[in-house]
Amino acid sequence: MTEPDGVVFVVDDDASLRESLKDLIRSVGLRVEAFASAQEFLGSKRPDVPGCLVLDVRLNGLSGLDLQKRMAEADTAIPIIFITGHGDIAMTVQAMKAGAVEFLTKPFRDQDLLDAIQQALERDRNAREQRAKIEELHSRYRLLTPREREVMALVVAGLLNKQIAGDLGTSEASVKVHRQHVMEKMGAGSLAELVRMADKIGIPTPK
Amino acid sequence: MTNPGGGGRGQLNSRFGVNVPHGGENVTDSAKAKNDIPLEASIPDGAVPLESILCTEELHRRPWRPPDYGKENRALVALAIALADSPGTILQTLAEKALEVVQADSAGLSLLTKDEKSFYWPAIAGAWQPHIGGGTPRDFGPCGDVLDRNVPMLFTHWERRYPYLCPATPLAEEGLLVPFYVNGKAVGTIWAIAHNNHRKFDIEDLRLLESLGRFASAAYQALASIDDLKLQIAAREKAETAVRELANGLKAKIRCLVDGNIIGICTWNLESRIIEANEAFLRIVGYDREDLMSGGLSWRELTPDKWRAADEQALAEIAATGRCEPFEKEYLRKDGSCVSVLVGAALLEGRRDEGVAFALDLTERKRAEDALHQAQMELAHVTRVATLGEMTTSIAHEINQPLGAIANSASACLRWLEAQKLEEARQSVTRVITESHRASEIIDRIRELAKKAPARKDWLDVNETIHEVVALVQNGVQRNGVALEAQLSDDVPLIFADRIHLQQVILNLMMNGIEAMSGAGKGPRELWVSSEKVESTDVLIAVRDSGPGLDPKSLNHLFDAFYTTKPQGLGMGLAISRSLIEAHGGRLWATANAPHGAVFQFTLPIGSERAA
Repeated sequence: MTEPDGVVFVVDDDASLRESLKDLIRSVGLRVEAFASAQEFLGSKRPDVPGCLVLDVRLNGLSGLDLQKRMAEADTAIPIIFITGHGDIAMTVQAMKAGAVEFLTKPFRDQDLLDAIQQALERDRNAREQRAKIEELHSRYRLLTPREREVMALVVAGLLNKQIAGDLGTSEASVKVHRQHVMEKMGAGSLAELVRMADKIGIPTPK
Repeated sequence: MTNPGGGGRGQLNSRFGVNVPHGGENVTDSAKAKNDIPLEASIPDGAVPLESILCTEELHRRPWRPPDYGKENRALVALAIALADSPGTILQTLAEKALEVVQADSAGLSLLTKDEKSFYWPAIAGAWQPHIGGGTPRDFGPCGDVLDRNVPMLFTHWERRYPYLCPATPLAEEGLLVPFYVNGKAVGTIWAIAHNNHRKFDIEDLRLLESLGRFASAAYQALASIDDLKLQIAAREKAETAVRELANGLKAKIRCLVDGNIIGICTWNLESRIIEANEAFLRIVGYDREDLMSGGLSWRELTPDKWRAADEQALAEIAATGRCEPFEKEYLRKDGSCVSVLVGAALLEGRRDEGVAFALDLTERKRAEDALHQAQMELAHVTRVATLGEMTTSIAHEINQPLGAIANSASACLRWLEAQKLEEARQSVTRVITESHRASEIIDRIRELAKKAPARKDWLDVNETIHEVVALVQNGVQRNGVALEAQLSDDVPLIFADRIHLQQVILNLMMNGIEAMSGAGKGPRELWVSSEKVESTDVLIAVRDSGPGLDPKSLNHLFDAFYTTKPQGLGMGLAISRSLIEAHGGRLWATANAPHGAVFQFTLPIGSERAA
């Protein structure tokens, strides 16, 4: 949990507004990186830290909503706070449906923006933790032998050792040994925990 | 085909042969005969001189016999009776009487044809009777000779000089020709022929022929007038037939028009009755044939009150010219509704009290016009709103950018100050200042934009300007059944103002008045626009309506921008009007009208170019 503080990305084509946003966000001690267009942002290399995006809906070139879609498609999504000069309801609904954290209409109160940024960073932080945990489970799962993976799949499907032995054409004693190894390698303290892990990494349930 | 002089005998034979097909047949087709008369009068080579065939002097030398007046008188009486009884054959009778009294072998008449190029023989008795219809050229023949010298002549063997007479057999031993006259002008000859030597004409024969010649003149004139009469009758009959045919054709076409029921047609009289009408007319006014037959249809009653004046005007036009130009009006249908029609009428020929009229149903056209007008109004309104909306949005966006930046930077500044970061705070404040300038620059730019349409002031006639606006609102006035009256003073001076701006204001006030009344219930709908000079320095223009008037609570806001009582209103009309009038140095205000309605009036200084 000792992740570094997050980075706030700002994309706005109005230079003075962009600068003032940077100023405001920096004044609460956050790191800011600002871009004049969606393309510029997409082309940048982002640091591997929690982040969020403050995005103007109406941009020259690729619009804010387009950018949101691109990021979702590329699976590089981070929480987005939209800001707009004159948002309409349809636009707001579209943005929120696509997962926006907040939709602020200019001029907005500074605290509303800063609160939204905090919330967005928190959301990204959680999401990153989740992703890390699942990645850890995947790396443990990769340590299992093929036989152990077969046994694990049947165990989490709720079969008894005897049934598993029958299915795999081996002895019950042998199944017991494999099962013990699975529990150790995956670091599961109980059958229930193993079932949750299997669910998270989405291992295939045998028929 | 006519060159007798150069022609040989055979050719002449064939030519005359046509005229003598059957012995004794009365050939009266003068046109045909005329074609066969040798026309050209050139004396052929070797022709003997005229004198060698003349023996007129002989008449006096021959033995004299006493005149037989009794015989002459009987002949003349017989001729007179024949003329009365059967004028068509009088010339032939004359020839026969001449043959009888002169005791010749052949006798007949020669008449000058209308073109005066030849003589033809309409009547011959005796041996030459088969030659009826023949003739001689005017300028080369015995008849021509007689007419040229204007005296009777006695010829002997004339074929020696005039070879074309050879086929006219039997040949003439002697021929006695006497000219006869109509109105002093010789038109033909009467003649007698002896075909052999047994008979020599004498002075008594000459006297008798001259006597008959005078009768021939009378007969000729009678025949001419009869012919004339016949011609006249024939011409009249022909004309009547043509008129009849035309009338029949027209009748069929008019029937087709009436029965086709494409347009309404009726006949009417000045007592207001509609006498006859076709189905289309009845359909337009919504009555049936029984209503018409019972005499219950009156065009005055079919006309709603507001169109009475138009009817009267049309009647006056009909009284003056017999017809009226088609005009638009409305009919009151049997069910009480009104129908728009185009009507034209004319008096029936020869009648002062009865006429025919047509009516064309304009309902569909009116509906289309109304829909179009409505659509135009809506479009104009939407465009206005949209333009303003668009402009507002873009102004808001422009202004919001620096305002947003200012807010952000000011917030940041506060935080920097709290954190004692003075350098950062200073930068934030600098940004606030910069953005403030930017905002005011944007506002300046918008103001510049608005200034780009400067007033174009000129000396103008207020009343004329009002008339122009009145013309513009006519449609709205009529559509809403508003009575519009202009009370324009004659002593309004020219003022120095922007015509378009002035028109916009007047138009706005008048349209407001019309709209205010259009929503109102019954009550009279009257709109007045007036102009007058006040205080010798100003012109006062007022627009008053008889609508529901002004809500006292709204009086204070009337001229505020975006204040409106209309669901579709923008609330800019009066605000803009007031600012336009104030830009001219005038005043615009509203009061209540008595007994109801509102008055919007404004003053404009007569002004000078310095004020512009």
